[in-house]
Amino acid sequence: MNNESNTKKIKFFDKLKSNDFYIQVFKNPLTYVGAAVLLSVLQIVSLAATGNPWGVSGPLAYWGAWILEAFGGSVDKWYYFSSTGAQNVLKAGFINHAGTWRNIGVIFGALSATLLASGFKVKKIKSKKQIFAASIGGLLMGYGARLSFGCNIGALYSGITSMSLSGWVFAVAMFFGAAMGSKLLVKYLM
Amino acid sequence: MNEVVLDCYGEACPLPIVKSEKAIKDLDLGDLLIVQIDHSCAMKNLPEWAREQGYNVEVEEVDDGEWEVFIEKTK
Repeated sequence: MNNESNTKKIKFFDKLKSNDFYIQVFKNPLTYVGAAVLLSVLQIVSLAATGNPWGVSGPLAYWGAWILEAFGGSVDKWYYFSSTGAQNVLKAGFINHAGTWRNIGVIFGALSATLLASGFKVKKIKSKKQIFAASIGGLLMGYGARLSFGCNIGALYSGITSMSLSGWVFAVAMFFGAAMGSKLLVKYLM
Repeated sequence: MNEVVLDCYGEACPLPIVKSEKAIKDLDLGDLLIVQIDHSCAMKNLPEWAREQGYNVEVEEVDDGEWEVFIEKTK
Protein backbone atom coordinates (compact mmCIF):
# COMPACT_ATOMS: atom_id res chain seq x y z
CA MET A 1 0.00 0.00 0.00
CA ASN A 2 2.73 2.35 1.02
CA ASN A 3 4.79 1.43 -2.00
CA GLU A 4 1.85 2.05 -4.27
CA SER A 5 1.26 5.57 -3.00
CA ASN A 6 4.97 6.23 -3.30
CA THR A 7 5.06 5.28 -6.96
CA LYS A 8 1.96 7.40 -7.49
CA LYS A 9 3.74 10.33 -5.94
CA ILE A 10 6.81 9.78 -8.11
CA LYS A 11 4.59 9.62 -11.18
CA PHE A 12 2.98 12.92 -10.23
CA PHE A 13 6.34 14.66 -9.85
CA ASP A 14 7.63 13.13 -13.09
CA LYS A 15 4.62 14.56 -14.85
CA LEU A 16 5.01 17.93 -13.16
CA LYS A 17 8.67 18.11 -14.21
CA SER A 18 7.72 18.05 -17.89
CA ASN A 19 4.67 20.30 -17.55
CA ASP A 20 5.16 23.36 -19.76
CA PHE A 21 3.48 25.76 -17.37
CA TYR A 22 5.63 24.56 -14.45
CA ILE A 23 8.83 24.87 -16.50
CA GLN A 24 7.92 28.34 -17.72
CA VAL A 25 6.85 29.79 -14.36
CA PHE A 26 8.88 27.97 -11.69
CA LYS A 27 11.85 26.34 -13.40
CA ASN A 28 13.21 28.81 -15.93
CA PRO A 29 14.64 32.09 -14.68
CA LEU A 30 12.65 35.23 -15.48
CA THR A 31 13.90 37.49 -18.23
CA TYR A 32 15.74 40.60 -17.01
CA VAL A 33 12.86 42.80 -18.21
CA GLY A 34 10.23 40.58 -16.56
CA ALA A 35 12.11 40.69 -13.26
CA ALA A 36 12.62 44.46 -13.49
CA VAL A 37 8.92 45.07 -14.03
CA LEU A 38 8.00 42.82 -11.07
CA LEU A 39 10.58 44.54 -8.88
CA SER A 40 9.22 47.99 -9.75
CA VAL A 41 5.61 47.03 -9.10
CA LEU A 42 6.45 45.38 -5.77
CA GLN A 43 8.57 48.28 -4.52
CA ILE A 44 5.64 50.62 -5.26
CA VAL A 45 3.40 48.31 -3.22
CA SER A 46 5.98 48.34 -0.43
CA LEU A 47 6.30 52.14 -0.50
CA ALA A 48 2.52 52.57 -0.40
CA ALA A 49 2.08 50.06 2.42
CA THR A 50 4.94 51.14 4.71
CA GLY A 51 5.37 54.81 3.79
CA ASN A 52 9.13 54.33 3.37
CA PRO A 53 11.12 53.48 0.26
CA TRP A 54 12.52 49.98 -0.01
CA GLY A 55 15.74 49.37 1.92
CA VAL A 56 17.57 46.25 3.00
CA SER A 57 20.65 47.09 5.06
CA GLY A 58 18.95 49.67 7.32
CA PRO A 59 16.83 47.02 9.07
CA LEU A 60 19.98 44.87 9.44
CA ALA A 61 21.55 47.59 11.61
CA TYR A 62 18.45 47.49 13.85
CA TRP A 63 18.75 43.69 14.02
CA GLY A 64 22.27 44.16 15.36
CA ALA A 65 21.03 46.65 17.93
CA TRP A 66 18.20 44.35 19.07
CA ILE A 67 20.58 41.41 19.38
CA LEU A 68 22.96 43.52 21.46
CA GLU A 69 20.06 44.67 23.66
CA ALA A 70 18.95 41.05 24.10
CA PHE A 71 22.37 40.36 25.60
CA GLY A 72 22.06 43.32 27.95
CA GLY A 73 23.94 45.86 25.82
CA SER A 74 22.73 49.33 24.94
CA VAL A 75 23.06 51.50 21.84
CA ASP A 76 21.44 54.60 23.38
CA LYS A 77 24.72 56.51 23.30
CA TRP A 78 25.63 55.49 19.74
CA TYR A 79 25.58 58.38 17.31
CA TYR A 80 24.03 56.20 14.60
CA PHE A 81 20.93 55.48 16.72
CA SER A 82 20.74 58.94 18.35
CA SER A 83 17.84 60.35 16.27
CA THR A 84 14.37 60.19 17.79
CA GLY A 85 13.20 58.25 14.73
CA ALA A 86 15.78 55.54 15.33
CA GLN A 87 15.05 55.48 19.07
CA ASN A 88 11.32 55.04 18.35
CA VAL A 89 12.00 52.14 15.99
CA LEU A 90 14.23 50.49 18.61
CA LYS A 91 11.60 50.93 21.33
CA ALA A 92 8.75 49.62 19.16
CA GLY A 93 10.65 46.35 18.65
CA PHE A 94 11.17 44.20 15.60
CA ILE A 95 7.58 42.92 15.58
CA ASN A 96 6.44 46.41 14.56
CA HIS A 97 9.26 47.08 12.11
CA ALA A 98 8.05 46.83 8.50
CA GLY A 99 11.58 46.65 7.05
CA THR A 100 12.36 43.64 9.23
CA TRP A 101 9.36 41.72 7.90
CA ARG A 102 10.18 42.73 4.35
CA ASN A 103 13.71 41.35 4.75
CA ILE A 104 12.39 38.10 6.24
CA GLY A 105 9.95 37.95 3.32
CA VAL A 106 12.83 38.30 0.84
CA ILE A 107 14.72 35.44 2.50
CA PHE A 108 11.70 33.11 2.57
CA GLY A 109 10.70 34.18 -0.94
CA ALA A 110 14.13 33.29 -2.28
CA LEU A 111 14.08 29.97 -0.43
CA SER A 112 10.65 29.01 -1.76
CA ALA A 113 11.65 30.00 -5.31
CA THR A 114 14.64 27.61 -5.29
CA LEU A 115 12.56 24.89 -3.62
CA LEU A 116 9.78 25.23 -6.21
CA ALA A 117 12.36 24.98 -8.99
CA SER A 118 13.87 22.00 -7.11
CA GLY A 119 17.17 23.83 -7.27
CA PHE A 120 17.98 23.88 -3.56
CA LYS A 121 21.45 22.72 -2.65
CA VAL A 122 23.73 23.17 0.33
CA LYS A 123 26.92 24.28 -1.34
CA LYS A 124 30.32 23.02 -0.33
CA ILE A 125 32.98 25.42 0.82
CA LYS A 126 35.82 24.84 -1.60
CA SER A 127 38.68 26.61 0.08
CA LYS A 128 39.56 28.69 3.13
CA LYS A 129 39.95 31.61 0.75
CA GLN A 130 36.18 31.61 0.19
CA ILE A 131 35.49 31.92 3.94
CA PHE A 132 38.02 34.71 4.18
CA ALA A 133 36.73 36.61 1.17
CA ALA A 134 33.08 36.24 2.20
CA SER A 135 33.73 37.43 5.76
CA ILE A 136 35.83 40.44 4.77
CA GLY A 137 33.49 41.27 1.91
CA GLY A 138 30.41 41.02 4.11
CA LEU A 139 31.88 43.22 6.82
CA LEU A 140 33.03 45.87 4.33
CA MET A 141 29.67 45.86 2.55
CA GLY A 142 27.70 46.20 5.78
CA TYR A 143 29.97 48.90 7.18
CA GLY A 144 30.03 50.79 3.88
CA ALA A 145 26.27 50.56 3.49
CA ARG A 146 25.72 52.17 6.89
CA LEU A 147 28.35 54.88 6.34
CA SER A 148 26.59 55.90 3.14
CA PHE A 149 23.09 55.48 4.64
CA GLY A 150 22.05 52.77 2.26
CA CYS A 151 23.09 49.84 0.13
CA ASN A 152 22.47 49.27 -3.55
CA ILE A 153 18.77 49.07 -2.71
CA GLY A 154 18.13 51.85 -0.17
CA ALA A 155 20.64 54.37 -1.54
CA LEU A 156 20.84 53.44 -5.22
CA TYR A 157 17.54 51.89 -6.28
CA SER A 158 15.25 53.82 -3.94
CA GLY A 159 17.37 56.96 -4.33
CA ILE A 160 17.08 57.04 -8.11
CA THR A 161 13.39 56.09 -8.11
CA SER A 162 12.74 58.97 -5.67
CA MET A 163 14.39 61.35 -8.19
CA SER A 164 17.21 62.01 -5.76
CA LEU A 165 20.62 63.07 -7.09
CA SER A 166 22.27 61.10 -4.28
CA GLY A 167 21.26 57.85 -6.01
CA TRP A 168 23.27 58.79 -9.10
CA VAL A 169 26.29 59.82 -7.02
CA PHE A 170 26.05 56.43 -5.30
CA ALA A 171 25.86 54.72 -8.71
CA VAL A 172 29.12 56.33 -9.89
CA ALA A 173 30.93 55.41 -6.66
CA MET A 174 29.55 51.88 -6.74
CA PHE A 175 30.69 51.42 -10.33
CA PHE A 176 34.31 52.12 -9.38
CA GLY A 177 34.00 49.99 -6.25
CA ALA A 178 32.63 47.07 -8.26
CA ALA A 179 35.37 47.45 -10.89
CA MET A 180 38.01 47.31 -8.16
CA GLY A 181 36.23 44.41 -6.47
CA SER A 182 36.17 42.32 -9.63
CA LYS A 183 39.90 42.90 -10.19
CA LEU A 184 40.56 41.65 -6.63
CA LEU A 185 38.21 38.71 -7.22
CA VAL A 186 40.06 37.56 -10.32
CA LYS A 187 43.42 38.07 -8.62
CA TYR A 188 42.74 36.23 -5.36
CA LEU A 189 39.90 33.78 -6.02
CA MET A 190 40.82 32.35 -9.41
CA MET B 1 37.91 15.78 -30.06
CA ASN B 2 38.89 16.60 -26.52
CA GLU B 3 36.63 16.89 -23.51
CA VAL B 4 37.63 19.09 -20.60
CA VAL B 5 35.64 19.20 -17.37
CA LEU B 6 35.77 22.42 -15.36
CA ASP B 7 34.64 22.04 -11.75
CA CYS B 8 32.93 25.25 -10.66
CA TYR B 9 30.78 23.75 -7.91
CA GLY B 10 30.55 26.10 -4.93
CA GLU B 11 31.62 29.11 -6.93
CA ALA B 12 29.49 32.19 -7.35
CA CYS B 13 29.20 34.59 -10.28
CA PRO B 14 31.19 35.79 -12.06
CA LEU B 15 33.87 33.15 -11.37
CA PRO B 16 32.35 30.41 -13.61
CA ILE B 17 32.40 32.77 -16.60
CA VAL B 18 35.92 34.06 -15.94
CA LYS B 19 37.20 30.50 -15.50
CA SER B 20 35.43 29.27 -18.64
CA GLU B 21 36.82 32.18 -20.62
CA LYS B 22 40.31 31.19 -19.55
CA ALA B 23 39.81 27.45 -20.06
CA ILE B 24 38.33 27.69 -23.54
CA LYS B 25 41.35 29.65 -24.80
CA ASP B 26 43.53 26.55 -24.38
CA LEU B 27 41.13 24.31 -26.30
CA ASP B 28 41.32 23.39 -29.97
CA LEU B 29 38.51 23.85 -32.46
CA GLY B 30 35.81 21.22 -31.97
CA ASP B 31 36.78 20.53 -28.36
CA LEU B 32 34.14 20.36 -25.67
CA LEU B 33 34.24 22.27 -22.38
CA ILE B 34 31.95 20.91 -19.69
CA VAL B 35 31.41 23.44 -16.89
CA GLN B 36 29.89 22.11 -13.68
CA ILE B 37 27.95 24.78 -11.78
CA ASP B 38 25.60 24.99 -8.80
CA HIS B 39 24.92 28.72 -8.79
CA SER B 40 21.59 29.40 -10.44
CA CYS B 41 22.61 32.79 -11.82
CA ALA B 42 25.57 31.17 -13.60
CA MET B 43 23.02 28.85 -15.19
CA LYS B 44 21.59 31.94 -16.88
CA ASN B 45 24.65 34.07 -17.67
CA LEU B 46 27.19 31.35 -18.56
CA PRO B 47 25.17 29.94 -21.52
CA GLU B 48 24.31 33.52 -22.51
CA TRP B 49 27.97 34.49 -22.61
CA ALA B 50 28.95 31.35 -24.56
CA ARG B 51 26.19 31.86 -27.12
CA GLU B 52 27.29 35.47 -27.58
CA GLN B 53 30.77 34.14 -28.39
CA GLY B 54 29.16 32.00 -31.09
CA TYR B 55 29.79 28.61 -29.45
CA ASN B 56 27.31 25.72 -29.42
CA VAL B 57 25.80 25.48 -25.95
CA GLU B 58 23.70 22.94 -24.15
CA VAL B 59 22.64 22.92 -20.49
CA GLU B 60 21.85 19.76 -18.61
CA GLU B 61 20.40 19.57 -15.11
CA VAL B 62 22.38 16.75 -13.48
CA ASP B 63 20.89 16.99 -9.98
CA ASP B 64 18.83 19.35 -7.81
CA GLY B 65 20.59 22.68 -8.16
CA GLU B 66 23.44 21.27 -10.22
CA TRP B 67 24.00 21.84 -13.90
CA GLU B 68 26.50 20.94 -16.58
CA VAL B 69 26.98 23.45 -19.33
CA PHE B 70 28.36 21.92 -22.54
CA ILE B 71 30.24 24.44 -24.62
CA GLU B 72 31.61 23.37 -28.00
CA LYS B 73 34.42 25.53 -29.30
CA THR B 74 33.19 26.09 -32.82
CA LYS B 75 35.37 29.02 -33.75
